[in-house]
Amino acid sequence: MPLHNAGYQHWKGEHRGIWYRRMTIAANGLNGCLRNKWMRHLVVVCWTGALLQIGLLFVVGQLLVKDSAVVRWTGSLNSQLQLFAGGLTSWLEQHPEISVRCAQNLLFYYYTTALLGLSFAAIAMVIPHLVSRDLSSNAIVIYSSKAVSRLDYLIGKCGTVFGLLVLTWLGPLLASWFIGNLLAPRWHFFWHARVALVHVLLFSLTTMAILSLMALGVSAISPREKASVGLWLALWLLGGTFVNLAQHGRPWLKHLSLSYNLDQLALAIFRLGRDLNLARDNIPVFGSMLDGLKSHTVERLQHPDWMGAAIALVILLILAAAVLIWRVKPQ
Amino acid sequence: MSDCVIQTDELCKAYGPQKALDRVSVKVGPGAIGLLGPNGAGKTTLMKCLLQLQPMTSGKAWLLGREVGTEGREIRKRVGFTPEMDCHIPGMAGCEYVTYCAQLSGLPFRAARQRAHEMLDFVGMGQERYRRIDTYSTGMKQRLKLAQSIVHDPEVLFLDEPTNGLDPKGRVQILELVQDLWKLHGISVVLSSHLLHDVDQICDQVIIIARGRLIVHDTLSNLKSRRRGWAEVVLTRGQTDLVAACQREGWPCEILPNGHVKVEHHAENLGPLLALIRTQQLTLLEIIPSPNALEEFFVQALETAHASP
Repeated sequence: MPLHNAGYQHWKGEHRGIWYRRMTIAANGLNGCLRNKWMRHLVVVCWTGALLQIGLLFVVGQLLVKDSAVVRWTGSLNSQLQLFAGGLTSWLEQHPEISVRCAQNLLFYYYTTALLGLSFAAIAMVIPHLVSRDLSSNAIVIYSSKAVSRLDYLIGKCGTVFGLLVLTWLGPLLASWFIGNLLAPRWHFFWHARVALVHVLLFSLTTMAILSLMALGVSAISPREKASVGLWLALWLLGGTFVNLAQHGRPWLKHLSLSYNLDQLALAIFRLGRDLNLARDNIPVFGSMLDGLKSHTVERLQHPDWMGAAIALVILLILAAAVLIWRVKPQ
Repeated sequence: MSDCVIQTDELCKAYGPQKALDRVSVKVGPGAIGLLGPNGAGKTTLMKCLLQLQPMTSGKAWLLGREVGTEGREIRKRVGFTPEMDCHIPGMAGCEYVTYCAQLSGLPFRAARQRAHEMLDFVGMGQERYRRIDTYSTGMKQRLKLAQSIVHDPEVLFLDEPTNGLDPKGRVQILELVQDLWKLHGISVVLSSHLLHDVDQICDQVIIIARGRLIVHDTLSNLKSRRRGWAEVVLTRGQTDLVAACQREGWPCEILPNGHVKVEHHAENLGPLLALIRTQQLTLLEIIPSPNALEEFFVQALETAHASP
């Protein structure tokens, strides 16, 4: 029995625009993902990582200040460490721009790439909520019969992945940058850390767009949810195998790894090689430390293969778009 | 064109060499429209072409005065569609699903939620609306499909075999709801079915399609009038007397297994038959003009279609 049947009433309100409908699709997908308790745990892990990063930034910030509590505490542990901290402090006095920028750029590079792994895991959990489930349940027909086009549908689904990555990746990154610098000993840290922020935004937003489209493409390959998840995991985890194979004669094979390509992109955007050179030129202690690095590590940091990575990513994106055009049809 | 709900001009849809729609040209005004045809006739294809769920191979079509193919979003905002197959979103509860469909049509969330509940009431769903759709029976899914198709208050509603899989009671309820939508609320309904009785019960216009071709489009009353001259007479007694009297008039007639007398009286109206019954002093319980007219016309139309190259 109906709860209260008032009969049919005509609707007289105003209709919302197309972006509202796209956001509705995105929000619905995100809502579906967050019903999974493992996804909620993963979000918590990512934000815990942000807390650790904030703590790290706080410690590094304190190391750069003369007579700070952290410097005094390191002195109680080890006199050489106190000497090193003292060197850093004087370096900050002389080159505040370089010290804060280099330190935060390096920290955010590692933090960004570390969280990327968790984002891959998050996408593995969201993949069934993208196109696979709609293909298996014929829900595409319902979307197509409403006032949304195929492009609107895909933008909405992209929004789901984007939203998820904001929760697990960009959100923690931005929060840690802001709070980390808020807790820094001097206000000018915000200004000097701007380069790290620009790099974080540039890399994470580019990668989020790439991963969103890739995830949609993988999700559209099969209507079976497990197959889609398996394909994503294969794309993510088998990449390491290709990189290993590439060391034995076929260098192009490493570009079959999505993680490798994104790492090259990160190195190109964060420009760690330039920072290393700056540090080497300005701080003698760093110079001797960097000389100890293996030559291929220095080469990797200073000359990332970003062009090859960009070409490989473009090819992967074209493939993903082709799969979407082929598979996402009303019928 | 603005008076037409649907207009097509030489509309063709082909799957390779197979023509699913073959130069269909039709102008359909508002009303309850029955789309009839045997399985594989092209009814669903016509609906899907109009809703842009499938691209047309050639020709043109207009829905509510707007050209299909150029104003897709704008058209679909004013149109509802109940597909034949199940196509819900797994994991959602019924009310969530209908709310979501309303939002996809541009209704703000609060209004969408309120209207979703109103429509679920309208289609006769109770507390089960809070259950996951995956657990619904066929009847519940049909009701849910109807609710999602009217939640945004469309001007035209396309229903593809909406009574499939329903028990007789559920079928009657759904047909009554659909009938109300046109008669009480002015929403044009296009009902695709191969069940003639459903169409006969609620539609005032009929389109018959066979082998992808338009066989006939007319009002149901006009179609029935073409079959005038037949009547089924229900008497308390004296069926054999009526048969004898009809035979004297030269009207073919027979007594049906249910006791009714089927008479082919050849007249434009029932006047001569009623006069004959009166002269025979028979007690008339009911007289049904042109019984099964739609069915007979449908079969005749199909035979014509099959005979043509």
